[in-house]
Amino acid sequence: MAAPQAPTKPAKPGETSMPVIWAKQLGRLIGAPIGSVIFAFIIGAIIVLITGGDPIQAYQGLFCGGIGLFCTGDLYSSITPALEISSTIVFATPLIFTGLAVALPFRAGLFNIGAQGQLTMGAIAAAAVGIHYASWPGFILLPAVLIVGTLAGAAWGGIVGVLKAFTGAHEVVTTIMLNYIAAFFLYYLLRGGPMQLAGQPEISANVGAGAQLPHFLNGNGQLFGQPIGVYQAHTGILIAFAVAVLFYILLKRTALGYEIRAVGQNQRAARYAGISVKRTLIITMLIAGAFAGLAGGVEIAGLSHQLTIRYATDSTGFDAIAVALLGANAAIGIILAAFLFAALRVAGPVMQGNANVSQNLVDIIQAVILFSIAANFLRTFKIRLPALRQTPPGEDAPMVATTVTELEDTEPSEPAEVGDTA
Amino acid sequence: MSTTAPETPQAMTGDEGTIAIEMRNIRKAWPGVVANDNVSFTVQKGEIHALVGENGAGKSTLMNVLYGLLRPDAGEIYVNGKLAHISGPRDAIALGIGMVHQHFMLIPPLTVGENITLGREPVYNVDVFDTAKANANIRELSAQYGLAIDPSTRTSDLPVGLQQRVEILKVLYRGADILILDEPTGVLTPQETDDLFVVLRGLVKRGKTIIFITHKLREVLEISDNVTVLRRGKVVGHLVTKETNQEEIARMMVGRDVLLRVEKPPAKPGEPLLRVEHLNVTSEQGIPAVRDLSLEVRSGEILGIAGVEGNGQSELVEALAGTRQVVSGHIQIGDAAITNIGARKIRSAGMAHIPEDRRESGLVLNYSIADNLIFGHQRDDTFTWKGIMLRLQTIREWAERLIKQFDIRTPSPDIAARALSGGNQQKVVVARELSSKPKVLLAAQPTRGVDIGAIEFIHRQLVAERDSGAAILLVSAELDEVRSLSDRIAVMYEGRIVSFEPADATEERLGLLMTGGGQKQEHASA
Repeated sequence: MAAPQAPTKPAKPGETSMPVIWAKQLGRLIGAPIGSVIFAFIIGAIIVLITGGDPIQAYQGLFCGGIGLFCTGDLYSSITPALEISSTIVFATPLIFTGLAVALPFRAGLFNIGAQGQLTMGAIAAAAVGIHYASWPGFILLPAVLIVGTLAGAAWGGIVGVLKAFTGAHEVVTTIMLNYIAAFFLYYLLRGGPMQLAGQPEISANVGAGAQLPHFLNGNGQLFGQPIGVYQAHTGILIAFAVAVLFYILLKRTALGYEIRAVGQNQRAARYAGISVKRTLIITMLIAGAFAGLAGGVEIAGLSHQLTIRYATDSTGFDAIAVALLGANAAIGIILAAFLFAALRVAGPVMQGNANVSQNLVDIIQAVILFSIAANFLRTFKIRLPALRQTPPGEDAPMVATTVTELEDTEPSEPAEVGDTA
Repeated sequence: MSTTAPETPQAMTGDEGTIAIEMRNIRKAWPGVVANDNVSFTVQKGEIHALVGENGAGKSTLMNVLYGLLRPDAGEIYVNGKLAHISGPRDAIALGIGMVHQHFMLIPPLTVGENITLGREPVYNVDVFDTAKANANIRELSAQYGLAIDPSTRTSDLPVGLQQRVEILKVLYRGADILILDEPTGVLTPQETDDLFVVLRGLVKRGKTIIFITHKLREVLEISDNVTVLRRGKVVGHLVTKETNQEEIARMMVGRDVLLRVEKPPAKPGEPLLRVEHLNVTSEQGIPAVRDLSLEVRSGEILGIAGVEGNGQSELVEALAGTRQVVSGHIQIGDAAITNIGARKIRSAGMAHIPEDRRESGLVLNYSIADNLIFGHQRDDTFTWKGIMLRLQTIREWAERLIKQFDIRTPSPDIAARALSGGNQQKVVVARELSSKPKVLLAAQPTRGVDIGAIEFIHRQLVAERDSGAAILLVSAELDEVRSLSDRIAVMYEGRIVSFEPADATEERLGLLMTGGGQKQEHASA
């Protein structure tokens, strides 16, 4: 569940007021992710400590390298904070798209491992259009590149949805297989295939100038002692934000999103309510594929301007699963998680080079974050707040004792079905 | 049936030696809710003690404490006069306490003998299951307690009543002297219930003690010697069965006077609204579940389907609602054919459906009440702009109206349905389905697992819906409910309607028809 809806009427006296309930819901929602991150950083610090390093220095390196904070002292004199921030934005962009591409199917009860393949296909299609129609003017070519990338990703995701709906093929299996197909298709294209740039290994020609997304910083001068060209942050991040907003509206404000969530929560009830589960699953995967495909298109248009092997070999589509998980499958959470993971990625080399702490620490932190979310063990430490439904049936309880027991008739609080273990 | 209480073997002298179980000042709380508040509960040796209360009153909690599934926060338990420390079912069993759960804990493919001896199997050559010895043990046991059963039958082939007998034998096999039966009659036919009561009386004669958890007051009067009533985690009364009546117990359970009988004016049936002709439907396993079934429900009438669960009622309702494929036959609402046109179109043709399992089929538990109240109507023009954007304000106002109209107890429409009590969850389903002004209403187990107050309310709503001209098809495992609500009763057995009966048909007659008695031999091959 994403951010709570707008607060409404003030609570009547004696009622559990909605702001309190929402606060608790919010706490339940963000408690685990934030707790996991903190926990991971503590574990990371311990590991640095017992391997003979200085955790404070390590984390100074992380903060400086990731978001340009605390770059004080001689160690970091060579670091340009603005450049680090720019690089983090570059890394975060595709993670937001693909994180959303994993999160949407999650909401429908599907586990999309295939964001990687969908991104690959989106990148291939976008690059193909950008190269083939390189002479088109930008106001046509750029939209065309992005749209074709989106459609290619949608098609790649749609296959999964159709298979799931009509043959019941498990989406985890089909997405993994489709990832391979996409990757090998890319290898074929770039290793002696039709898109390989003559005489160059594993890269294609550049897309036309009109197919390129503008950077935030342009020109030939210098900024903070660096040529402006190295600040690669591009306007794709704005498209990512827009898609995140779209994702939120889709899920929370549209009938389709309502149905997607219903299918994810209770397929049987959805069927009883007249919702076509098959149709909903297919549409969900089409949209998810579109998000990931757009990531490919935006990367081509905003960053690499050419197809490379990286579109199959980097781990964006898989990090996306981590992003969706840490972001609790909510738009704002995914954006924050994408920035966190991007910052860690960017900071790794800085930490290693400047603070002399192995950048494997980044992987450890990432792994511990995921581990603690997946294992869900942090719940054990949570401060036990009385949950919402368990309003004590006292004098000022909302349900006056005129009639039957209300609100207390909730089985979940007790292990009703423990069973005969003897 | 319900006449005299069985004789109590031991006089209740209050002497230590006659007390089987004494739970003193048991307290069990979860954050914010006290499930058992200073509960004291005493059971004499050799009695049948009914523990009654509404859902959530704390009956199960108390028994789970006794059986060692839950640790109490405070309080002491004495078994046969001795202080007992029960930290798990193992301890409870060692003390001679056995529990027959509401949902059977049997492994269907195993034989009766294997199920009963599970965990304490007789073996030879160290680890080879000794079938002969197991079966001999069980035969001895069943002879001793008059619980006839064949140990070599596959458990899955047994009817529910006999499966329960297996559960009871399992507990006896482990040496239980004190048996806890959790809602044992919920799944039984009237005849099976009678059989169970005979068995229970036999067990008591042989010195066993029985704690009988139920919310069916008629059974309390029929079988028990003493009654303990819980309400909201507290003991509100100890009653001697002979000296009380249904009204008194109901008042204690609910805390106010309750109308136990449904008040309804005579039906004024109009033209047929639901027509089913020669319907055939198969179950998940591809076995015919509904066979050549025809019926008609008129406007302003409630047709009740009586039958033991698993005789095709669920499949019938699903076929009518469009969630299950019809193999052959014809269904229409008014003049419109709705056979196999899909759940969505059937809904728009004027069908509403209260599904038999609200948690599985009727609600999205994590959705708010407001979202649940538009479930199935989320694309109606009222709630959605051009089929795309939800009209959140309208949905909210709609929800607030229904919450008021249907007396759904909640601080806000934004609360998740999960947080509501069973009765209020069901009110959400009923509110949603009735609010669509259906021509035909399918009401499957409309009050299952719902407390008395809510049952009363839901019954009144169904009658009101009938009187406003809807045709209602009621399916219920509670024969009492079918008899009190219906204007006509159709008895279903093995997928067929074996008889249409008037509303005042006797329970005995219905029970006989439900179990295949009283019908001609033509279906004997099935």
